[in-house]
Amino acid sequence: MSRHDKSDRVTRRDFLRGAAYGSLGLAMGVEGLARAGQGSAFAAEKPLSQVVLVRNEAAVDASHRVNAEVVAEMLDTAMKTFTGEGEVAKALRRYFRPQDNVGIKYTRCAWHRIHVNQAVIDALTDRLVASGVAKSRVTATDYGLPVKDCTALINVPSVKVHAITGIAVSIKNYINLTGRESSYHYEGSSKLGEAWLLPEVKGKTRLIVVDMLRPYFGPGPQINPVHQWDYKGILVGTDPVAIDTVCLSICQKKRNLFKGEEWLISPPPRSLAAADSVYHLGTSDPTKIKLTRLGWEKEQLT
Amino acid sequence: MRAFLILLGLSVFATEVAHADENMLRLPQEVQGWKTDGQDKVFTRQTIFEYMDGGGEIYLAYDFQRLLAREYARDNAPRIVAEVYQMASSRDAYGIFTHDTDGQPVSVGQMALYSAGLLRFWKDRFFVRLQAEDETAEVKTALMALGERIALGIPQDGRKPSLLSALPPQGLIQPSVHYFHTSVSLNVHYFLDDSNLLNLNAGTEAILAHYQQGSDKPHLLIVRYPRPGDAKTAFEQFGKAYLRESPTGNSVFRKLEKGQFAGGRREERSLALVFEAGSRESAEKLVGLAASRMKGVTP
Repeated sequence: MSRHDKSDRVTRRDFLRGAAYGSLGLAMGVEGLARAGQGSAFAAEKPLSQVVLVRNEAAVDASHRVNAEVVAEMLDTAMKTFTGEGEVAKALRRYFRPQDNVGIKYTRCAWHRIHVNQAVIDALTDRLVASGVAKSRVTATDYGLPVKDCTALINVPSVKVHAITGIAVSIKNYINLTGRESSYHYEGSSKLGEAWLLPEVKGKTRLIVVDMLRPYFGPGPQINPVHQWDYKGILVGTDPVAIDTVCLSICQKKRNLFKGEEWLISPPPRSLAAADSVYHLGTSDPTKIKLTRLGWEKEQLT
Repeated sequence: MRAFLILLGLSVFATEVAHADENMLRLPQEVQGWKTDGQDKVFTRQTIFEYMDGGGEIYLAYDFQRLLAREYARDNAPRIVAEVYQMASSRDAYGIFTHDTDGQPVSVGQMALYSAGLLRFWKDRFFVRLQAEDETAEVKTALMALGERIALGIPQDGRKPSLLSALPPQGLIQPSVHYFHTSVSLNVHYFLDDSNLLNLNAGTEAILAHYQQGSDKPHLLIVRYPRPGDAKTAFEQFGKAYLRESPTGNSVFRKLEKGQFAGGRREERSLALVFEAGSRESAEKLVGLAASRMKGVTP
């Protein structure tokens, strides 16, 4: 993925024609990329990956306060729908055994303030314990997760458009497991997928739960409150690339809505394309993803 | 040994703060009942990532020198964080201010924007961000008062980049103007390519602006290089890699996808490039106006 050879240069034109970065342009709704016969975005009949989105209008109030009870219900609905199980405990037992040491890797970027809400972490921990994993075996943190000691990981990111990376969701959430965070901000952060292949990380991620209650769509680097909105969503899946692609699509539509015209997420998230084509962590092709949408429909944007 | 290390640590921190007091702005201790809470923090080009890992690149893309961060607290009220960014020049203070142009214009410093508990302004070599945890009517009043106090402490105004005068005024969407140096900034506002085909660097100056021309909304990019040869190289590279057409003279225009036109013109050590113009005529006209204005611009 290194682009030191300038003949490999990707221009805006390449991207807008769909000739670079895989299907990202399609996911971002770039005009002219819809291809006949390839199916609609996020409606795959024989999907490679499935994602469940649950929204609830009561999850965040007018003062932007998160309702923990509602969030817990949303998580339950998402888990049951994703697995097809009637009970949350059964759903979680598909992924976690009582003898697992489970690491919940969430995002709490102090300076940016687009955190995973505590209500999401608490609900997830409570349900994990209720499913049979002892509380002493569950570690939830952003920095300092003892990954080597974990036998299973749950990736719990927030959602933010990012000035260097394009978008930061589940793939970027593991950046601080590398111990070399700043080194991943070059070449469009295209090597972020490496974090998932570290020996102590590889193959351990059993579940991804995205806090999309109050995502961020602005240019950053710091938060401008007018670029944060109460989407009031929780997403569940197991494919980080598919989940990030869904979030990318929603954020792109929100940006367009905000400006009243196309406002492309920029730079395009090379890390997402590379996570698919180079690191093979999942699919970024929206025509191969099935998104199940539940709950509040206003400005669903997908 | 432990006591020594603690003393050493305190000494280093005290030195850092004292250094800040001597060379940076003096911030008020109290405003509208909000009082300084905790120690000031100072960050340099070398330590900016300790303050905002994953965001420092945007400040380093300008000639950022130092950041002073202070927190203010008041009982039963949202906290306020004051950040004062000292840049090497007023041009760069203006430039980092234009990184995010969304907000309501207010009258603080030389230019200011307010949005839901965030006040940003620039004056002389300083870019200031004042952000509250939440917005209330009291918070807004306090932010404005704090901003005005800080702005008053900056004795003089600074010059905007002279390159701004190269922008043709007709049809200019003013909040869309971004001033910057490198491709890191360009690609946040308008992704052009992933390999810096215009050879932007700390020594180049660039302005990106959006225009409304009837139903068309072209983007105009003006770049000034240190030397004419730099502009010539970049222009040829742009023609070959982006337009897939080598410039035969000082200008080149091409019809691209969606029937839109892109192209540009080289004028000594500057380039005027246009993207997403609705017709060849409108592309050439906008670039021509910019090119003629560029001749009168002195650094």
